Amino acid sequence: MAEKIIGIDLGTSNSAAAVIQGGKPTLIPAAEGTTVAGKAFPSIVAFSKDGDLLVGEPARRQAVTNPDNTIREAKRKMGTEFMYKIQGKEYKPQQISAFILQKIKRDAEAFTGDTINKAVITVPAYFNDNQRQATKDAGTIAGLEVVRIINEPTAASLAFGLDKNKEDMKILVFDLGGGTLDVTIMEMGGGVFEVMSTSGDTQLGGVDMDQAIKDYVIDEFRKKEGIDLSSNAQAAERVRESSEKAKIELSTVMETEINLPFIAQDSSGAKNLEIKLTRAKLDDLIHSIVQRCKPSIEKAIEDAKISISDITKIVLVGGPTRMPIVRKFVSNAVGKEAESGVDPMEAVAFGAAVQAGIIAGDVTSDIVLLDVTPLTLGIETLGGVREPIIERNTTIPTSKDKTFTTAADSQTAVTINVVQGERPMVADNVALGSFNLTEIPPAPRGVPQINVKFDIDANGIINVTAKDLGTGKDAKITIESSSKMSEDDVQKMKSDAEKFAEEDKKKKEEVDIKNEAESFIYTTEKLVSQDLKDKIPQEKGIKITDAIKELKESLTQGTDQIKLKLEALKTIVNEVTTELYKNATPPPGADQKSNQEQSSSGEQTTDEQKSDPENNEEQKSDPENNEEQKSDSEQKSENP
Amino acid sequence: MENENNKELDAFTDSTENNDDKEDAPEIEKVKDSQEELLLCEDKLQRVLADYQNLERRSKMDVTQKVTLKVNQLMLDFIGIYEDFIRAKSALTDEGADTEGLLGVIKNMETILSENNIKEIEAIGEIFNPKLHDAVSTVEDNLLEEGTITQEVAKGYISFQEVIKPSKVIVSKKK
Repeated sequence: MAEKIIGIDLGTSNSAAAVIQGGKPTLIPAAEGTTVAGKAFPSIVAFSKDGDLLVGEPARRQAVTNPDNTIREAKRKMGTEFMYKIQGKEYKPQQISAFILQKIKRDAEAFTGDTINKAVITVPAYFNDNQRQATKDAGTIAGLEVVRIINEPTAASLAFGLDKNKEDMKILVFDLGGGTLDVTIMEMGGGVFEVMSTSGDTQLGGVDMDQAIKDYVIDEFRKKEGIDLSSNAQAAERVRESSEKAKIELSTVMETEINLPFIAQDSSGAKNLEIKLTRAKLDDLIHSIVQRCKPSIEKAIEDAKISISDITKIVLVGGPTRMPIVRKFVSNAVGKEAESGVDPMEAVAFGAAVQAGIIAGDVTSDIVLLDVTPLTLGIETLGGVREPIIERNTTIPTSKDKTFTTAADSQTAVTINVVQGERPMVADNVALGSFNLTEIPPAPRGVPQINVKFDIDANGIINVTAKDLGTGKDAKITIESSSKMSEDDVQKMKSDAEKFAEEDKKKKEEVDIKNEAESFIYTTEKLVSQDLKDKIPQEKGIKITDAIKELKESLTQGTDQIKLKLEALKTIVNEVTTELYKNATPPPGADQKSNQEQSSSGEQTTDEQKSDPENNEEQKSDPENNEEQKSDSEQKSENP
Repeated sequence: MENENNKELDAFTDSTENNDDKEDAPEIEKVKDSQEELLLCEDKLQRVLADYQNLERRSKMDVTQKVTLKVNQLMLDFIGIYEDFIRAKSALTDEGADTEGLLGVIKNMETILSENNIKEIEAIGEIFNPKLHDAVSTVEDNLLEEGTITQEVAKGYISFQEVIKPSKVIVSKKK
């Protein structure tokens, strides 16, 4: 029998895990038993006063007594440099997550009776590479080989069996958890789940609903008996427990009763709490909370650039979506019935288990399930411009490469600065890592050919290789979890990308024109001082020198000024070269060659650059800058 | 079984030793094929048996787990009513009413709990233990040892070695 692989929904507040048994996903219970209304494993880690490690339910139970040594929501810090300081020791977020994964591994082994060494772990669709890598690292630390990382909405869709559908679909995944809402629009076609948009609210969830019911019950009792139950801890706890029970019951019945005898006592004797709660009343109590979900749905639809009627399937995830009012709200908002048949609380873990089953061979699927890159990956080129290598939403695993060249003469090293994001300027994206390719043989700028290759494996983990095609020497990097992009940052970057689209375009144009001007100055100076030194009439030479000077001065001014001066210099240079060619008597068969030289303006281009006019622009540089480039960019080559 | 097959094969070979080898070859091949098929079947049978034993074990475990879960849920519902009776006794005693009959009902209920090996978790005065207790808040108290349970908000219960409901408690903390 194939080795068992478990599926893990590593959540912000709670985690869950499942495994395929008898061809079907089965939830793995925690050793402490399942909690009343939560998933089996609260994502909480704590260290007791004696330094003992507590994970999951025991850690949750002691949280209020030991807040300084209790860590919640480490998932929000995954992929960042943040360090937790506990009892004099430092822990990375992935180490904290690893404690949770270790606990899940242990309990899964107790449940299945097998040793568990492999897992599929889910992450939010908006997780960037650093966050995914950190999640994978957490698995490794916990002794689990993470065979695949998949998006949570993808997992949920798998649990509902949407991968079995042959036709293309647009799926809205509505994930309302205890404290957060995530709305994802996905497209599925040809075995590929592609994330079109994500939106959400980090301050909205089932906790608000429970509180609303509890407040109502306490309020009603106060009105009737004049006693405030919230001031009595025992009474308040009984109200909380029974409110939660009533809420669950009202998902299946239309009316229930909260009956708490001897809840309080005053001079007239014992008081009993008896309140009938109807589904209509419950709907009324949580109506405003449910309505707060609307903007997130609208934003997701808007960002996906589709209309609401384009949605073909709705997948509900999270405990609160079990409530009929929530289900009805989403169905009404989209105009379609939501999928049913899987407990929304377990959907993500079940989907992860299904994916694990497909990999282990326990589950057959005629569809090759693939995910896509969430954000565009690229490298820094001259002037801080981001050159995309792998566009966002590219199906992974994938491998793409581009060939670049140096920016300065005799440049012997280049720095490959890998970035991720949707903005055209490097500074507006997230730097994932950088490395140097050295020992490039000294050569004129534009001659060396440096092939930069991005490989993304099935988990979305990036390997970047830079190879000098001349010498065959290469350097590589596997992106470490070193960057600093929070979930909010990703969302901000995505919205910024749209908001600043015009501004970015302008910024890029500024850099491009400056690069072009610098490059033209360099080429012209070389032409005047070396290549055509004796062939240019003196007065023309002076004219060119003056125009170069003016262009150089304009480099610190606006784009329009640079354009004007660049055009002026080009006109003079064209006049001179035209005159020269007119006077020259070409040797037989030399026509073609001279044409080629003219068309390339003396620049050397690589295959990639020939096919990409933009790269040609970027390749240009200027001699003044060369000095700077040698020191600063010795490394910052132009492309790269 | 494998040895028996080999014997059969040997016997077959012996009895045909005088015949032409070329004529015997297809027959020998046939026997070899049958032998391989038999080995495959044996292997399959062993796997199916193992699967069946695993399924049997798993089914037993599943049934036990489900029954335990259901019994625990039922007992927790029962405990809810048992606690109401305790509250009733307390309220009625305060009012000076006769609680003798009520005490008899409570005693019977406690017998049922005892028969099911359900015990209350000790809380007040104990040092907080997250395996048994669920802290809902803290209270500052310099006289008590840090982590001492000062109030029990809801009782907890243990069935055999399993905590079926942790007790909800308020815990002391030094200023």
